[in-house]
Amino acid sequence: MNKEQILQSFLEDELFIERGYVKEGEAQKFKWTDPRKNNLIEVLRMAIDGVMSKESEGVTARKVNSFLNP
Amino acid sequence: MIIESIELHNFMCYSGENRFDFTEGMNVIIGDNNHGKSKLYDAFYWAMFDQCFDTGQKKWMPTRHFGKDIISDKAIHEAENGLVRAVVRVTFKKDEDHIYVIERRLTAVKRDGIATADKESEETVVYKEFGSKQGKEITNPSDVEDLKRNILPDNIRPYMWFQGEQVESIIDFSQSSSLTQAINVLSNITRYDQVRALAESLEKSALDEYQRKARAQSKDKGRSDELEVKRNTLTERLELLEKEELNKKDNLGAADEATQRLMGQFEDASRMRDLDAKQRQAERSLDEISEDEKRERIDLHKKMFSRNWVLKGTGHLLHEYNAKYSTYERTRLERVAEVQARLKAENQMIQEIQTRLPINVPEPMYVEQMLEQEHCLICDREAKKDSDAWNSIKSLLDRSKANVKELEEESLSKHDFSNDFKRLMQNGLGLERDINNVDGDIKSTFQSMKRLEKRRKAYAEELIRITEDMNSMKAGTSLDPIQAKNIVNELSSKQDLAKRFRDELVRTERTIEQLKEQIKGIDKELSGLVSGELPAYLEEKKRVLEEFAIVAKSTRDRVFQRLVKQLEDEANRHYREMMQGNQGVRGIIRLVESTKGNYTPRLTDENGNPLGQLNTGNIILIKLATIMAIISARQGSRDTDLYTLITDAPMSVFGEDYTIGFCKTVSRVYRQSIIMSKEFYKNETLRRELLDSTDIKRGKIYVITPSIADADRTNRNALTTQIKALN
Repeated sequence: MNKEQILQSFLEDELFIERGYVKEGEAQKFKWTDPRKNNLIEVLRMAIDGVMSKESEGVTARKVNSFLNP
Repeated sequence: MIIESIELHNFMCYSGENRFDFTEGMNVIIGDNNHGKSKLYDAFYWAMFDQCFDTGQKKWMPTRHFGKDIISDKAIHEAENGLVRAVVRVTFKKDEDHIYVIERRLTAVKRDGIATADKESEETVVYKEFGSKQGKEITNPSDVEDLKRNILPDNIRPYMWFQGEQVESIIDFSQSSSLTQAINVLSNITRYDQVRALAESLEKSALDEYQRKARAQSKDKGRSDELEVKRNTLTERLELLEKEELNKKDNLGAADEATQRLMGQFEDASRMRDLDAKQRQAERSLDEISEDEKRERIDLHKKMFSRNWVLKGTGHLLHEYNAKYSTYERTRLERVAEVQARLKAENQMIQEIQTRLPINVPEPMYVEQMLEQEHCLICDREAKKDSDAWNSIKSLLDRSKANVKELEEESLSKHDFSNDFKRLMQNGLGLERDINNVDGDIKSTFQSMKRLEKRRKAYAEELIRITEDMNSMKAGTSLDPIQAKNIVNELSSKQDLAKRFRDELVRTERTIEQLKEQIKGIDKELSGLVSGELPAYLEEKKRVLEEFAIVAKSTRDRVFQRLVKQLEDEANRHYREMMQGNQGVRGIIRLVESTKGNYTPRLTDENGNPLGQLNTGNIILIKLATIMAIISARQGSRDTDLYTLITDAPMSVFGEDYTIGFCKTVSRVYRQSIIMSKEFYKNETLRRELLDSTDIKRGKIYVITPSIADADRTNRNALTTQIKALN
């Protein structure tokens, strides 16, 4: 599975539809480079990136915190 | 890469030069027990991983553990003083242009008849290009390891190279780690685990940050601190309870699982138990009725006399006797009357004569007095007894008595049996009722005996029927009455246990909810204590990371279950194929989850109903199907094309019935496989089918036989292995 497929598998979660982050059926077509601004999706991208590149958890966590902090 | 060949030189029972060539398809090495199949498997393993299988300790051990045992006894025996060596060389073909050869050697020094092997073996790895005679040695250990991982990745190795007896442990459904490992091969679930771990850690740190900020802005720091402490205590307690909840779910899962398993057997067990109870009851009834029958038979003889059955048919005799007695009695009475009349007349006459006694004769009482006193009162003279005078006086008295006769003195007949006859008649009267009842009594006794006999036969037949039912149940279900009783009792106790666990779980869940409510309440109060607004970014951060944690967990679970389903579907495909043409248990494999991520394989029908208890053969087939599925379903790869399946005696557990089905499946799933098998050794029909079947994609087929039979193998100095290619 590549990064995009992994991201798509997360976007299939009903939370994304409930909160209106993605539309129904959109998950499977979602591109890694989708420009939509959504903090949760962005955090997911960082997490997946970190895991796929075998980054340490601490490093990824710092990146996420930096992103979410002002 | 596929394996092109293996060469064995003085390796264990393969003394001298030995070679097997392989192609794509299913390559089979056929041999009976102790013919060298497992040693060939060892050769592959030794060449690649420097290990052989210790059959005593049942594990893989390094070369130094075996020492010179790796070298052929014959080679050592025949060697002069000097070096003797075992070599295994495996040739791998990556494609038409690239070949790799892995060679391993173990050297021993023989001196004065004793061989001492090196502690370590030596390895040479050579890369050759097609057409080139000379290869290039790969000396960098890291490159060698990369090559070996290329030949067979570590995570795939357990499912591609295995011995038949390892199948059970390769996939242990009771261990969540076993299936997780398998799922990881299928598709890397570890990534999702890592994302989840990251999400949980981020959520926690965001919450801590949020709470710190809230505390810093609190209107009442004292109260905030107090609430924080309380919150922490509740949170710790909540964590413990959540762990407890998992344990209880596990317990409940296990109890439900056990209940389900037992429910599958309950109907049969219950029926067997009922049959057993019926059998005992029938046996008891049969014993009782047999006793009654026996008693009746004994009493039968007694009744001949106790109920006067001997008098059967003598009623007419009684009547005859009574008639004769009546006649006799009548006659006797007539005679008595006659005699009485005569006596009366005679006595009357005697009395008349007696009244004519002389006037001067005193009354009889005075006569008696004179006789007594021996003195005549008339003559006033002595009359001694028996004297003339006395006798004369006496004659006066005798004369008066002389002829008065009583009836008793008169003899009516020669022998007087009248009393006896009377007694007999009276006895007969007493017996008359019995005699009249004898026929009826006999009849009713025999009727009663017949009824008893009928009942006994009925009980005996019932017992036979019940016993036959029980035997047929035993044959069909392998359950005996004790096992059946145990199952019924165990089911009851497991159901009680499950209920108890369920109740405990409900209580725990309720407590968890209460704690969460309390924590919520504290959070609300803490929020209420915050003066001003908390930074918007912090609110957003907390929210995002909470959502991240939720999504990470649920996605991981969803993906895992999806992969399990994929594995299940793929395994079923292989399983169906292996069962084709077989009348044994079919069914559908279901991997049913318990709470801790354990999965239990079940065989069900199309509606999901369990097909009964799995025997060892079923389980091995399911596991083999699952092992194949792990590789064949691997996403985005052609692993079954890239790696060779090598397996030693995989069919030994499930027997010959499934052998051909297994071969067809293996030859379809794997581009190349090397199977060591004994099933084809003695069974000519099976061997013929292997060689002729168009459904099996065959590679090379060999038969191996040792030069010395196993029974004669005390001296191994002449042991070699003969290799014969069948195609």
